[in-house]
Amino acid sequence: MSSRSLRHRIAIVFVGLLVLVMGLVLALVHHSSERIVERETRRELAVGAKVFQRLLEQNQRQLETAAAVLSADFAFREAIATQDQPTVRSVIRNHGQRIHAQVMMVAGTDGKLIATTQRASAAGDPFPFPDLIAAAEVSGRSAGLRQMRNGQLSGQLYQVVLVPIQAPTRIAWVAMGFHVDDRWAADMAGITGLGVQIVRTRAPGVLASSGASAGTQDASVEVPLDGGLQAVLRLPVAQVQAPFEQLQGRLLGVIVAAVAVFAAGSVMLAGRIVRPLHELSAAARRIAQGDYAQPLPPAPRDEIGQLAGSFEQMRTEIASREERIARLAYVDALTDLPNRTRFLEAFGRLSPGAGGAVLVVNVDRFALINNALGHVVGDRLLRAVAGQLQPLVPEGGMLARLWGDQFAFLLESAGPEAARRFADTVLAALRDPVTLDGQRLDIGASVGIALFPDDGLDAATLLRRAELALATAKRRHAGIAFAQETGGEPAHEQLSLIGDMRRALAAGEFTLAYQPKLALGSGRIVAVEALLRWQHPERGSIAPARFIPFAEQTGFIREITPWVLESAVHQAAAWHAAGLDIAVSANLSTLDLLDPHLGRRVRDLLEAHAVPARRLCLEITESALMDDPALAQAHLDELAGLGIKLSIDDYGVGQASLAYLKSLSVDELKLDRSFITAITESPRNAAIVESTIMLSHALGLTVVAEGVETPAELRWLREHGCDIAQGYGIGRPMTAAQFEHWLAEFALRTVA
Amino acid sequence: MRRALLPLLCAAALAAGSASAATVEVLVQTPAGTPLADAAVLVEPLAGTPARPRARAPGAKGVAIEQRGREFIPWMTVVQTGTSVDFPNNDTMRHHVYSFSEPKRFEIKLYAGKPGQPVVFDKPGQVDIGCNIHDWMEAHVLVVDTPYFARTGADGRAAVTNVPAGHYRVRPWHPLQKAAVAPQDIEIEEAPVRMTLLLDARARQPKPHTEDDPDRY
Repeated sequence: MSSRSLRHRIAIVFVGLLVLVMGLVLALVHHSSERIVERETRRELAVGAKVFQRLLEQNQRQLETAAAVLSADFAFREAIATQDQPTVRSVIRNHGQRIHAQVMMVAGTDGKLIATTQRASAAGDPFPFPDLIAAAEVSGRSAGLRQMRNGQLSGQLYQVVLVPIQAPTRIAWVAMGFHVDDRWAADMAGITGLGVQIVRTRAPGVLASSGASAGTQDASVEVPLDGGLQAVLRLPVAQVQAPFEQLQGRLLGVIVAAVAVFAAGSVMLAGRIVRPLHELSAAARRIAQGDYAQPLPPAPRDEIGQLAGSFEQMRTEIASREERIARLAYVDALTDLPNRTRFLEAFGRLSPGAGGAVLVVNVDRFALINNALGHVVGDRLLRAVAGQLQPLVPEGGMLARLWGDQFAFLLESAGPEAARRFADTVLAALRDPVTLDGQRLDIGASVGIALFPDDGLDAATLLRRAELALATAKRRHAGIAFAQETGGEPAHEQLSLIGDMRRALAAGEFTLAYQPKLALGSGRIVAVEALLRWQHPERGSIAPARFIPFAEQTGFIREITPWVLESAVHQAAAWHAAGLDIAVSANLSTLDLLDPHLGRRVRDLLEAHAVPARRLCLEITESALMDDPALAQAHLDELAGLGIKLSIDDYGVGQASLAYLKSLSVDELKLDRSFITAITESPRNAAIVESTIMLSHALGLTVVAEGVETPAELRWLREHGCDIAQGYGIGRPMTAAQFEHWLAEFALRTVA
Repeated sequence: MRRALLPLLCAAALAAGSASAATVEVLVQTPAGTPLADAAVLVEPLAGTPARPRARAPGAKGVAIEQRGREFIPWMTVVQTGTSVDFPNNDTMRHHVYSFSEPKRFEIKLYAGKPGQPVVFDKPGQVDIGCNIHDWMEAHVLVVDTPYFARTGADGRAAVTNVPAGHYRVRPWHPLQKAAVAPQDIEIEEAPVRMTLLLDARARQPKPHTEDDPDRY
């Protein structure tokens, strides 16, 4: 079982080790016990055998002494000396009883019985144990275990002692026999502590036994006796083993108890170790899920406690860091308002299906102010605007700064009417002049409103729609415009446009329209701007703003621009051939400007159509320049080297400063239409435009005013030194043929 | 030839016997060649030789086996049948002299000094005498019919003197002999007879006075 749980592993390791150690101890004890039992058995047997032999000797000596004393008895000797059978028999019986001998025999020195208590024998028979006599001849007396073979006591074993009868020389032998029976064996067993059996060597049958039949588990030792006999001393091994088995049993009990206690203890300990770990891992999961609020539970002051402390520190630091990151990610550093990302996210958090409105607010003529008064002032103005808009945010709504001077409101549950009312309050709030360093700035704003879910479901679409509506509002000077008023534009249309553009280019659906540019000094039409038009076979005319940004985004513009340049140069060649002194302007996008082959391509075109370079003007937006200023400058220098006129388009929308523009090889500055629209409304803003014109002239730039619609504007521009004007007030974009016709009419009108 | 010689020899003996006496000198030794002390050398007259009484008459000079130092002295005594023997006690303690031997059974119970009656050994044979109080005390009396006998000294030599000429049988005897040896017949004339006899016997070994052994009691 391989457990993944630390708790189980700890318990298993601890208990396993204990079991191992205890097992070793038990095995050692068992092994030692066996050896001790074996040694003890041997020792007890050896001691028992020695004691047995000693006892036997002592017994024998006692019997010998007793027999010697008896044989020395004068009356006994006298009786024996009489050789009178009845007397001798009587005396041996009598004296035999004195020393408790069961058998008495008297033999002559010739080895023949003189008298015996054995009924089976008679005087004259040979003494049954001549070997004892032989031994006694040498050492004076002898003894031994002997079996009486004859008579009724046949087979009975005796300890026989033979002593001489001295009077004073040996006149006879007296033999005394003492029973060696089970009782004797039991007595011996009682003293030696061993089971005693007397057996004949190499013959079956037990002559005397202390009882207790021999067990199979007995250890035994054999003590050789005389007379072909031996004593078998037995020791039941179980008797020696008993205390050790008891010891082992108790030890086993202790081990089992110890293992149980240890198991319980280690499980508890593991639990105490693991519980804080579980809490820590739960806390870690919470932190992973982004919940930094809940502090960690208190932990003991050990290593785990230190870990928990580190964890707690990590939690608080991650929380503060994330807060900082979130702030960086979601808060606009300049105004402290939520940024675009935060705005999109807030929209995503709206309950699905709810309605509402997205309002995009743009400060009018901010770029102009920014350029005229500097970025520092521009930034302070933006902060002031944010400060004015902030209090307007309703409950549950949001105000964000999207970029530049573009702000957005998110109004939940707001319908068209509520949105319009809110937009009115926004405009009202921004209508008051802003005072910066004691200088009053009149600012205005426009608001584009997109409603959801009607105008879109996602924030990006809604913002874009609102921005389109904003553009509409600005164009109309209406202040407020709804996305719905700008015409329906299903979201999927953009995608199909991209696919359509490629086909349109091949099918010749793109055309160029030419808008005249009037030189205010001479009152002559000196140039036209070539504007791209798309006549869609199904949707009709598609405004450039609706497909050119996508062409730029997808890079398709790189295929369109060559066509535009080709067409424009071609037209310029035609007019040049016709004797018309008209320059043609074409627009370049960012991608075009970064194309390293741009200069060569333009030169080739001019050469191919034999057009003088001054008849071609290329218009570049500020933002196109800002993408890679160094590369842009290099390419512009190359184009300028060809003699082509270069114009900065939509000046005032972007952030480019005049100082930077001066470093470029540009000839012309086109003021964005929004400035022109403002000049007749606010004298102060007019002053900004005027100063811009003066500055541009000082830098040697031609100033072109775009979006000139009224005679008043035209007049103001002429009066304030603007070089060239362009707009509906002069002439709409038209085909080349229409332009030629219009130009003829214009010439007539001017003359008139 | 033997038949022719025998009468001649007999005649010579008879002639000499009546006329003179001689000494028989005997060396008794064990088969190992060790001189045997306390052996009796008996010279027994064969048929035809008169067994005249010894020069010193029995009783004239009494035979005694005294007890001194808790020992019988002498250890070995040879007497002619009918001799009275005294057992004077020269020790400070009493003795209890007894004999269970067939030729003469007697018992002189606990006495001091000289007992009243001497013991008369009236049958030939060996009489072993002990003391019932002192087991180590031992004396042997060899009762013989012949008047010609002697006891070997420490050198194993004995001389039987004044043996009249005639035919005799010479026999050694020792109380501890293992078996009787065959006697040797000799002719005694005037010249002394020297002979060596072999007798397989255990020499007397003084028994320890167990009473004096302090370890025993």
